[in-house]
Amino acid sequence: MRRLGPWLLGVAALAAVPLFVRTSFFLHVCILVFMWTLLGAAWNVLGGFAGQVSFGHAALFGVGSYATIILYLKAGIAPWWGIPLGGVAAAAVSMPIGLLCFRLRGPYFSLSTLAMAEIVRVVALNWEWATNGPVGFLITALPPLRILGREVNWESKEPFYAVAAILALMALVSTALLKRSRLGAYLAAIREDEDGAEAVGIDTVRSKVLTLALSAFLAGLGGGFYAFYFRYVDPDTVLGIGLSIEMVLIAIVGGLGTLGGPFIGALFLTTIGEAVRERIQVGHLIFYGLFMMLVIRFLPEGIWGRAYRFLARRQAGVPRHGAA
Amino acid sequence: MEAFVQSLVSGVLTGALYAMIGVGLTVVFGVMRIINLAHGEMVMLGMFGAFWGHTLWHVDPFISLLLWAPLMFAAGMLIYRLLLRKIIPGGELNTLLYTAGLSLLVANLALFIWTGDYRTISLSYAMLPMRLLGIVVPVPLAIAFGLAVIITGALQLFLARTDMGRAIRATSQNTEAAILMGIDVEKVAVVTFGLGTALAGAAGVLLAPSLYLYPTVGEILIVKCFVVVVLGGLGSVPGAIAGGILLGVVESLGAVYASTAYKDGIGFLIFLLVLLYRPSGLFGVGKS
Repeated sequence: MRRLGPWLLGVAALAAVPLFVRTSFFLHVCILVFMWTLLGAAWNVLGGFAGQVSFGHAALFGVGSYATIILYLKAGIAPWWGIPLGGVAAAAVSMPIGLLCFRLRGPYFSLSTLAMAEIVRVVALNWEWATNGPVGFLITALPPLRILGREVNWESKEPFYAVAAILALMALVSTALLKRSRLGAYLAAIREDEDGAEAVGIDTVRSKVLTLALSAFLAGLGGGFYAFYFRYVDPDTVLGIGLSIEMVLIAIVGGLGTLGGPFIGALFLTTIGEAVRERIQVGHLIFYGLFMMLVIRFLPEGIWGRAYRFLARRQAGVPRHGAA
Repeated sequence: MEAFVQSLVSGVLTGALYAMIGVGLTVVFGVMRIINLAHGEMVMLGMFGAFWGHTLWHVDPFISLLLWAPLMFAAGMLIYRLLLRKIIPGGELNTLLYTAGLSLLVANLALFIWTGDYRTISLSYAMLPMRLLGIVVPVPLAIAFGLAVIITGALQLFLARTDMGRAIRATSQNTEAAILMGIDVEKVAVVTFGLGTALAGAAGVLLAPSLYLYPTVGEILIVKCFVVVVLGGLGSVPGAIAGGILLGVVESLGAVYASTAYKDGIGFLIFLLVLLYRPSGLFGVGKS
C-alpha cells in the first residue's frame, strides 16, 4: 500500500490538471507528452527490455493510425473503438515482420526494421484504393458522444487529455507488469546474452515475437490516438523515418529499459521541442539530434536511470563518493 | 529492346554513384564496425556544396569537386576525432544511435539554414543531346559516371598498393592482429573515416546536377546505401561496387517493367531477402 500511495497521488494530480488549467496550449503540450510517453514505452518494451533496437516503429504507428481513420471514415466505427482496433491491427502486422526480422541480430536487425518501415511507407503511398495514396485522410467531424448525460465537446482539449492520460498510464502499467513477469525475466536474459538465454532453454524467438506484438499494440494505440487527435493522416507524417527515430530518442533520453523513463523522456523532449517550435519551425529536431548525441555520450543510462541509481544509493546509506 | 538497353544503361550510370556512396560506408564499417547513419547527410552536404559553388561563384560542380572532396575528408577526420571516438567502445548499438542523432542534427540544421525548398543546378551543357548507338545519355550523369569510376578505381589502387591502404585492409580483417603487427589502428580509423566521408561528399557533388537537392535527401540515400552495402556484403569494397550497380539496374528496369511508384519498394524487398537468406552478401564475402 505504501508503494501505491505516490502513484495514486500522481494519478489524482493528472486528473485535476484540466480542472484548474484552461490554457489550450498547455493542455496540448500535456496531450503530446502523454502520446509520446505511450510511444516511448512501446519502443522501450522491445528496445529497452529485450535489447532489440528497432528503427521501424513508425510502420506500427502508421498501421494503427491508418486502421483507426479508415475504420471511422469507411465503416463508421467511432475512434474510441477504432484506437484499440488500431493497436490490434499493428500487432497483427508486427507478427510476420517479427518472424522475418528476428532471424537477424544487433545492427542487422535494426537495419531490417528500417527497410520494413520503408516498404510499408512505399505501399501506403501507392496503394491508393486503401490508403488514398499521398493525399491521405482527413476527419472533418467526430461522432457525437454523451458521457454522464453531457455532450462531449470535441473542439476542446479536455476529452483528448483524458484519453491520452489513460493510454499513457495503461502503457506504463503494462510495461511494469511485463517487467515483473516471467517473460520480462526472459527478455532481460535475451538482452544480456542471447546465446546464453537460448542455452538455458528460453524460446528466444517466441519471446521476442510476443514482445514485439505488445510493443506494436502500444505503438498502434499511439497511432490511433494521433489520427483521433490530429484528424489527419498521410504517409509522410505517420510513416516517416523521423517518427521512428523520435520514439527511440524518447526512450533513450528517459532511460533504456526503465519504467519511468518514457514519461521523463517525453516530458523533457516534448516541452523543449514545443517551446522551440514556437520560435523556429524545424528547430525542435535540431535539438532532438543534439540531445541524442549528448545523452549517449554523457548519460548512457538516461535521466531516469541516473536519478533512480542516485536515489537507490542514498536510501542504502552509501556516501556518494564511496568514502567510508 | 531499345527500352531495355536504355534503362540498363541509365541503371549502370546511377548505379556507379550508388556504388561510390556504398564504398564509403563499407570501408568505415570494415575498419570500425560503425554503421554510419549520418552517411546520407554527408552526401547531402556534398550536393549543397556543389550547388552553392555553382550559384554563388559560378564554379562548375565537377570542378568544385577539387575543393569539396578534401574539405569533406578533413570534416570526416574531425567528426571521428571529436565526436565518434569516445562512443565506439560503448558498443555497436550505441554508435548506431549516436550517428542517428548526428544525422538528425545535420539534416535539420541544413533544413533550418537552407529551408526545405527543392533546388536544381542547371548547367549550360545539361541539355546537349548525346546519343550513343541510339541510346540517350544525359551529359551530367555521364560525366558523373566517368568521375565516379575514376575515383573508385583510384581508391581500389590506394587500398591495394599503398602502405596506408594495406594497413586499412589489415585492420578491417583483424584489428588485434593489426595492432600486434605494429599498425597504428587509431590513425587508420581516422583516415578511413575521412575517406568514407570524402567519398560520400564527392558522390554528392557528382549527383547534384542530376538530382533535386533538399536537406532531407540523405534519408532516402542512406537507405539505398544500406541496400547496396548489404547486397555486396558489409565490409567488402568490390561487393559494394557490384551492389551499387545491381541496385541501379534493378531500380531502372523495375521502373520500366514493374511500376515507377514501386521502384523504391523493389530495392528494399531485395535488401530484406538478402539480409534474411544471404546475410554475408550475394557474394558471400561480408562479415556478420
